[in-house]
Amino acid sequence: MSFEPVIAVFMCNWCSYRGADLAGTSRMKYAPNVRPIRVKCSGRVEPTFIVQALQAGADGVLVLGCHPGDCHYTDGNYKAMRRMALLTRMLEQLGIEKERVSLDWVSASEGSRFVSIVNDMTARIRKLGPLAKES
Amino acid sequence: MIVARDYVFMCSEPGQEIIGKDIRDLGLNRVVVAACSPIMHESTFRSTCQKAGLNPYLIEIANIREQCSWVTENKQMATEKAKALLNAAVKRVYYHQPLETRKIPFNPNTLIVGGGIAGIRAALEIADSGHKVYLVERSPSIGGHMMQLDKTFPTLDCSACILTPRMTEAGSHPHIELMSYSEVEEVSGYIGNFKIRIRKKARYVNGDRCNGCGLCQEKCPSKVDSDFEAGMGKRKAIYTPFPQAVPNIPVIDADHCTYFLKGSCRLCEEVCEANAIDFGQEDEIIEVEAGSIILATGYGVFDPAPIRQYGYKRLDNVITSLEFERLVNSAGPTGGNIVLKDGSAPRSVAVIHCVGSRDRNYHDYCSRVCCMYALKYAHLIKEKTGAEVYQYYIDMRCFGKGCEEFYERIAGEGVSFIRGKVSEVTDRSLNDEEKGRLVVVAEDTLLGSVIRVPVDMVILCVAMEPQQDAEAVARLFKISRSADGFFLERHPKLDPVATNSEGIFIAGCCQSPKDIPDTVAQSSAAAARILSLISKGAVEIEADIASIDDKLCSGCGVCGSLCPYSATSLDEEKKVYKVNEALCKGCGTCVAACPVSAITGRHFTTEQIMAEIEGLLI
Amino acid sequence: METSAHPVTPLKEVADIINEAGGEILKLCYQCGTCTAVCPWNRVRDFIVRRIMHRGQLGLIDFEGEDIWLCATCNSCVKRCPRGVEIVDVMRALRRVVTEMGIARIPDSLRLTIKNISATGNPLGEAPDKRADWAKDLDVKPYSEGTEILYFPCCIPEYDTSVRRMARAAVNILKKAGVDFGIPGSRVNCCGESVRKAGDEKVFERLARSNISVFAEMGVKKVVTSSPHCYHTFKNEYPGLGGDFEAIHLSQYLLELIRENRLNFTREINKKVAYHDPCYLGRYNDIYEEPRQVLESIPGLELVELPDCRENSLCCGGGGGRIWMETKSGERFSDMRVEQALAAGADVLAVACPYCMLNFDDSVTTMDKGNFIEIRSISELVSQAI
Repeated sequence: MSFEPVIAVFMCNWCSYRGADLAGTSRMKYAPNVRPIRVKCSGRVEPTFIVQALQAGADGVLVLGCHPGDCHYTDGNYKAMRRMALLTRMLEQLGIEKERVSLDWVSASEGSRFVSIVNDMTARIRKLGPLAKES
Repeated sequence: MIVARDYVFMCSEPGQEIIGKDIRDLGLNRVVVAACSPIMHESTFRSTCQKAGLNPYLIEIANIREQCSWVTENKQMATEKAKALLNAAVKRVYYHQPLETRKIPFNPNTLIVGGGIAGIRAALEIADSGHKVYLVERSPSIGGHMMQLDKTFPTLDCSACILTPRMTEAGSHPHIELMSYSEVEEVSGYIGNFKIRIRKKARYVNGDRCNGCGLCQEKCPSKVDSDFEAGMGKRKAIYTPFPQAVPNIPVIDADHCTYFLKGSCRLCEEVCEANAIDFGQEDEIIEVEAGSIILATGYGVFDPAPIRQYGYKRLDNVITSLEFERLVNSAGPTGGNIVLKDGSAPRSVAVIHCVGSRDRNYHDYCSRVCCMYALKYAHLIKEKTGAEVYQYYIDMRCFGKGCEEFYERIAGEGVSFIRGKVSEVTDRSLNDEEKGRLVVVAEDTLLGSVIRVPVDMVILCVAMEPQQDAEAVARLFKISRSADGFFLERHPKLDPVATNSEGIFIAGCCQSPKDIPDTVAQSSAAAARILSLISKGAVEIEADIASIDDKLCSGCGVCGSLCPYSATSLDEEKKVYKVNEALCKGCGTCVAACPVSAITGRHFTTEQIMAEIEGLLI
Repeated sequence: METSAHPVTPLKEVADIINEAGGEILKLCYQCGTCTAVCPWNRVRDFIVRRIMHRGQLGLIDFEGEDIWLCATCNSCVKRCPRGVEIVDVMRALRRVVTEMGIARIPDSLRLTIKNISATGNPLGEAPDKRADWAKDLDVKPYSEGTEILYFPCCIPEYDTSVRRMARAAVNILKKAGVDFGIPGSRVNCCGESVRKAGDEKVFERLARSNISVFAEMGVKKVVTSSPHCYHTFKNEYPGLGGDFEAIHLSQYLLELIRENRLNFTREINKKVAYHDPCYLGRYNDIYEEPRQVLESIPGLELVELPDCRENSLCCGGGGGRIWMETKSGERFSDMRVEQALAAGADVLAVACPYCMLNFDDSVTTMDKGNFIEIRSISELVSQAI
């Protein structure tokens, strides 16, 4: 069987989680590879969460927030953006491809955008193959 | 794990009772519900727990519907995913702590933004119950689009006649503070305690002195296209948009005032017996506090000029529906005479539906009111001019009360209905009959042939669209917009007046195109929601906020610099930071950033999230 | 395709076949009739495009009738459809059902052309080794590896002597501008655009894959085409099949040369010239300005606009395989177009597509207007002025 990646998706409570819910209520279909985790704001996502997810078996991690300027908490998503830049460097040091972690924006009304982001990410990680775990 | 149960409708009364009974009988201290989205039913199950004597924060929802079964085609993979979600919830709930919600006082004042029929109706509703309303309107008078309309369908009562009494009432209501010619600049705070900065633009007219005699407008030498008349008529540089304006205090349009442009004139000042003209007046910033907000900012009108083939602004006598409303209005620029540009009466008129609506090149959605007002136009044109009327429609949507009956009535008046979307309005004639006239081309889909009709006037029933600054307003109030650009309601069926931001409600066409009765209904609904908040007197604030551990905090201040609400501050004595619980919204940014992990984000603690991650992936 | 007098029953299986052949988008049609009303056929005869969509939805297409072969794929309807229905794709799907399943007869002339292209790689059925004959006396080299540009004239100017002039003029310009270019030899095939629109997906794919591999072997990086049809196919359809080269239409390339001062205009053309926007340059690829700018840079030339121009350009009637089919006198779009040019007072009707040239030449002859108007390609006009 071909490799099916597992992707952890951190979503903020206000935009992206609701966008994902909307994809559901609209009965859109997307890759079943994603594992959702709700946080209140993308600004809450600590780099250690991402590292933990990768260690615990995820082959990729998506962080989804509100669009820039639309954050429920004014600018938490900008903080997520800054943190992500740092994390990318950290991942490189750990020898993890930076494509495995991605930050994106989904509004509460963008069910279809959520679907395409998730599908794209899944396809990308599937190409990259499983994350080699330190044993 | 003590007990696992399966039930079809867990959120139903009996479903909830199953949980309650188990909590009581088995002494459960944690509960996991695997069902639909927590957005939908977290609060339901929290109160289930509470009723059964369990702290409501000791429950966790696994969203196996919206984010699993409904979105996954492969059954096996869906099951795997559902198991992971459930596992994660079980792992997470283990670390849940009982938390207490807090109640804070609710400010009974309400801010309403937008003084059209939606804002007026809501303002009156709330003010009549004795509570204070700040009604902010950007233009010089309240009234909105409804004031521009001539008759209203399907009853054909005069729009201004039914609106002006409500406007006057709002303008003089003891509990309504009307701020016209004003705009909201800044919003801070949260439900129960919003702080709003409002810019009251300089009118250059002292409202306390002005007695509304109108002499200044009469004498002013500068003429400008009137927005109220949809560009069909003129106003002066000092003006009220229409005679029934509320407040009846003119404003000076500095961009067109001769004095402001050239340094001399001041004719208005000379003739004003009340000495109300004040060229030195400046914008004023007013700060108000309110517990809740209603946005009733209305809609914009689609500009059909980009649809080149319809000839708007290119061919004479191709006008928009709003322009026609003014043309047919007896208080309008022609005194209600339906005339062509040359002053003559049209012999035949085409009314084109769905201009900019139901068209993915412009707006996908149906604007909902066009079919009906198009029928109204047919009636008015027939009544006033006897002209032939051709309705070009794709589907007639006449679903409101009395609307189908109105359709039948207008059909009986002898209107020609052509089912087809117009492909072109052209002045290129093919024969003598067409020469010098506007030719409307479409496929009459019921005939199955292309039809050309020469007419003298074409009315484009243009789409209602989001206000041009809808995006900026949404950001200002931190609410979302749907894909079409209108403000997003909390739930499309069950909560069409609330937004994702607590305490902020929406009413009228800022939410989606709708007619007057629906607008008024939504306004009253928003008002009812707010009155219920006011009558509770206090608002419950979620307990999932941050707390700082004194023993760990090094006083570095990173949290303070990141917090969007300035909710953490230095305790000078102890040299540690502390959280102001009234201000903290629990976003968790400080939790993620604290270099010594001294901050706990309650209910989203690091160990809870870590446990969830582990549960999801292993 | 008249509505039947008898009760009809939807044919779900047929609807499914149409969907599978690429017509699925027609599900979105809400029957507003915009397509019918903008379709140029309805200026000369009834052609109820909307009804074909509806019949397609119900599987009630009349595959025996001529309707499905009428569409000239001018794209006017697609550009305006409020539901985004790719009507041209639907027409292609309907034709595909006929060509691939053999459930009805393909019009004779079209069948012959497809056979020719399939067998010889060109619609006229000429020998492949004669492809470069048109330029025998011009001292042009066949394309070889390392040459900067492949000039791709299209089969029509290559094999049909009546419109050869547009390619020969192009060669003259390229030589004068000092462009390093070569022309296709016997291994190159028709681009396949019209075959695809005629519904023969298999022949199209074969032609395309063959061209793609020949181009790759020869190291072709940039192709300048005379025909908007080749241009459209190379640019928008070949990449999906592995094509990896840049395609540019001659009118765009001429503008580049003018901007780089590589063309020196020495002669005036003191004529009123009307430019005819070809469908595949304009509506398909939004190229409206470049050809006009090229014409306007010719000294003395006065550009006049036709009443139906740019997005609303009136199709010559030659797309979608129609160029191979007979159109009745009185129903030819090209006749109407020539009338428009005459009414606009043009001395010249300028074209940027071999199909347009064929059709307009024909119209001028049959209408006996040769003394009043000339049909000239943009390349001819530029060539004349340098």
